[in-house]
Amino acid sequence: MKRVCLLFITVILCGFFAMGTRAHAEETPHLRIWFSQYEAENEALRRIASDYEALTGVSVEVVSRINIFNAVSDLVNNATLDTRPDIVFMQAPDIGTLVASGYLEPLTPMIDQDIRDRFTEVALSAFRLDGEIYGVGYSVDSYGLIYNKDIISESELPETWADFFALAAEKTVFDGATPVIHGALLNARDMWFNYPIIRNYGGYYYGTYPNGDYNPYDVGLDQAGMLDYVAKMQEAMAQGIVLTNRIHGESEIVSRFANGKVGMMIYGLWYASILQERGIDYGLASLPDQDDGTTSRALTTVQGFVVNRFSLQQAQSLDFLEYILEDANQQLLIEAGNDHDRKLGTRNPANIAVSQSDYIQSSEILSSLSALNDETEPFPNLPEGPIWYNYTTTVFQSIFFPLSGAVDPEAKLGELAEKIRDDVRLMNLQVERIEIPSYVYMIICLLIVTGLIIYIIRGRIQNKRCPSYLQKPRWKQTLLAWGLILPLMVLLLVFYVYPIFHNMYLSLTDYSGINLREYGLIGFANYRDIFVKGFQGLVSMSVWTLSFATCVVVVSFILGVLIAFMLKQSHVKIAKIYRIIFILPWVIPTVITLLMWQGLLETENGLVNQILSLIGIPHIPWLSHPWIAKVSTIMVMTWFSFPYFMVIASGLIQAIPKDYYDAAKVDGANAFYTFFSITLPLVFRAMIPTLIMSFIMQFNQFGVYILTGGGPAADKIGDPGATDLLITYVFNTAFNTNRYAVAAAYSVLIFVFIAIFALLSIRITRKVADNG
Amino acid sequence: MKKSHPLVKKICVHTFLIFLAIVTITPFAYIVMIAFGKNIVGTSATIPKEFTLANFQRLFRETAFLDWIKNSLWIGLVTMIISVVFVSITVYAFSRLRFHGKQKLFQFILLVQVFPLTLSMVSIFRIFVTLGILNDIKGLIIVNSTLASAGLVLLAKGYFDTIPFEIDEAAMVDGASRLQTLIHVILPLAKPMLAVVAIQSFVIAYNEYVIASTVMTQGLDTMPLAVGLQSMITGQYGTNWSMYCAAALLGSLPMIVLFYSLQKYFIGGMTEGSVKL
Repeated sequence: MKRVCLLFITVILCGFFAMGTRAHAEETPHLRIWFSQYEAENEALRRIASDYEALTGVSVEVVSRINIFNAVSDLVNNATLDTRPDIVFMQAPDIGTLVASGYLEPLTPMIDQDIRDRFTEVALSAFRLDGEIYGVGYSVDSYGLIYNKDIISESELPETWADFFALAAEKTVFDGATPVIHGALLNARDMWFNYPIIRNYGGYYYGTYPNGDYNPYDVGLDQAGMLDYVAKMQEAMAQGIVLTNRIHGESEIVSRFANGKVGMMIYGLWYASILQERGIDYGLASLPDQDDGTTSRALTTVQGFVVNRFSLQQAQSLDFLEYILEDANQQLLIEAGNDHDRKLGTRNPANIAVSQSDYIQSSEILSSLSALNDETEPFPNLPEGPIWYNYTTTVFQSIFFPLSGAVDPEAKLGELAEKIRDDVRLMNLQVERIEIPSYVYMIICLLIVTGLIIYIIRGRIQNKRCPSYLQKPRWKQTLLAWGLILPLMVLLLVFYVYPIFHNMYLSLTDYSGINLREYGLIGFANYRDIFVKGFQGLVSMSVWTLSFATCVVVVSFILGVLIAFMLKQSHVKIAKIYRIIFILPWVIPTVITLLMWQGLLETENGLVNQILSLIGIPHIPWLSHPWIAKVSTIMVMTWFSFPYFMVIASGLIQAIPKDYYDAAKVDGANAFYTFFSITLPLVFRAMIPTLIMSFIMQFNQFGVYILTGGGPAADKIGDPGATDLLITYVFNTAFNTNRYAVAAAYSVLIFVFIAIFALLSIRITRKVADNG
Repeated sequence: MKKSHPLVKKICVHTFLIFLAIVTITPFAYIVMIAFGKNIVGTSATIPKEFTLANFQRLFRETAFLDWIKNSLWIGLVTMIISVVFVSITVYAFSRLRFHGKQKLFQFILLVQVFPLTLSMVSIFRIFVTLGILNDIKGLIIVNSTLASAGLVLLAKGYFDTIPFEIDEAAMVDGASRLQTLIHVILPLAKPMLAVVAIQSFVIAYNEYVIASTVMTQGLDTMPLAVGLQSMITGQYGTNWSMYCAAALLGSLPMIVLFYSLQKYFIGGMTEGSVKL
């Protein structure tokens, strides 16, 4: 008794304690810099910072970061808080959204001739947007031609892309129809590493205005040259120098290279350590020139430092940034970033003095990588930059690996370019704002709250299995009950109800990638947009979502109860072992097992098909045929959820009195009958709310997306794929164009849709349970 | 009385169970293989030629893995305790008391969870800022307790309802207070369900990724394991599969241990027959 009271008090105190400790405001001038995920690099910067403190008296806190990709969203969230960063280390392509909403301080005044001279050109040009420079590059993430010296000698290296293809074809060795040695290996679906080849044939990313700024409405994918590119890749595929499996990608190329089976690949040094350990003698050369003699430029991501516009010590931040950029400090950082003597190649200096230093020059690989710095083209850093990547992989997949019949590349590429232009238009859509006086909000809020309270109080207890004298509510018990429920209700109001209302509000605004800070009300424009345009494939997608959720819940429920039932009958020790095995899907991080399943279900090399072929069953396209993919998705998701039901059912089955079974036995029932007529219904009745909840959870299942990416893709670009659930699809379409308000509108609509559904299923299941 | 041959039945049952066990264990076996494999680039289904412990060594040397797992264990355990307490008292009220708005409130708990919370991170972030629990493990504990309790109340209600009302009426006639009835009569009977609540709340807190990755921004060593794990897989040009699998493997050990130690509660048979469905 006492112990429980103590526990209660501790928990409540914990809560208060958590609320009570707020972040302390800083007292001394203090800078905060968000830096790297590598601890060695952070340590180096900390040493530099302490030197700086000794010099100027300004302390600098170096914050280690989990990865560089979160920088944008984290800066947007934290830019104006007490714990705001002053300087942030991020990728140049990510600055577009931040600049559009005014989160970054232009550094143009700071960039003098000295800095221009000391840094490679791309270090600054990558951060140039709308005529201002917003950051300074530190590391240049680039790629070149990696070649296996045992297959291609240095003197043979191709001059132009035409030479490249000729040499690659020449060096390819076939054993029957399958190539055993690839002269070169390319990935036809890829845009990033193939970009120089695409440029060679006349395709390009976004066109530019005369002043050098990108024009996102000029998409270089429906150029005549692109058809030559497609033809060339198709020819190369027959020659064994392009991957022939529709889902294989870079990692396949690298692993074949690591096995010494590939002569050349267009790649960076990200797997250098593995190549070294495997004893592959490889070199990094610059890319072949274009066929007209101009230099090929690799598409490059530059990582560098930007300054938060809301930094409270703007001048001090700029001063510290200049200090970091000094040659000696850059040297320290780069050496730490490459893990000192291990020279991993993780950081390729943008600073010219560092790239000419002994540290870099003494390593053949690091020096050849830094020699490529001049042959680069920064990845477009405007907010529209990433739009490309939402479609190109699937479009090229359908061009090079059509599932049914041939695809006309010209029509497909035209459609792709049009889709990208559409998205660019949507992304820049500005809707006129409206003014609503604040008292209107108050009235609306009041109405909603009173409505809810009336609705809740009015309800009666209608539990039929509860004795009738217990049905009438009593005020004294009401008080006690509400007191007991209060803690959870408060938390629910804070963490569930507030987000719902906040989302409703956001759905009425123009909150988007271009208005992250200053968004205003625009009325029902987002909803109008959704309904006027209509969802493509709404009906088929809803049907699929519903059947998916139903199948997963029903199958995994029955399977879970069945296993629990079987295990109860078996020997205790054996049952224990089985249980430990069966809970594995539940306790291992979902992402990794999903990716494992992806590998297992792969059509050509997946284990499942390999086993099936042993007994003479031909390869089944588990994840690449629209209908089979649906079935496999359901199977895999069932695999994930049955352990949960098994464990719950194990508990519930214990509670079924023996005499029920004895009675059944007397009636001569077999195990099968006992299970379906006693165990399953009884467990079902006790689990109704959980089943409804699981059903709802399956509606919001994002795991499917990791497994199939929503694919196989639909014929029309941008339409829902075969396994796209309602929620994954609408969110993807809204987030692709950074239209967060539209995403909010979708989430409100889906919420209403599922809520109605949930209420209906409560009614239905209750009736079933009461009658059954 | 007709009965199928016990041996045939046994063989059928075990064939089925063994088949399922194989299906369950295969992806897991792959993870083990990759975790111990040397020089693995992709996840394509090839058995590694050499095995090594280097991935585990790198995990400890190059990442803050120990910090991550410590954070996650702390979050998981505290969330577990809070959730069990919250669920017990809330469900007691819903199952045993007659009060105004009972049904509607229960539906309310179900309905709010329909909303895809992980997609409204803007709102969640604001709440964290307002409450001052940003970059604070306590914040994650609070939000995880909410997520876990809300879901598990629905589960536990079904079970509590199966415990006959006569039992607590008898206790109260004997002079026990409501609290005493709850602690000495109902909770012991609900042990199998409480064990499930404990495990599931631990799993939820231990694996929560989206919220944690948004509200924790200050430093590698403050991250829970799920966020740390994710950082290994979202490399731009490649994933360190071996390290990732090694981390996932070690990371799932606490959950397996927890499950193993709580297993006796839902198979022990201590409640057999005392509860009527």
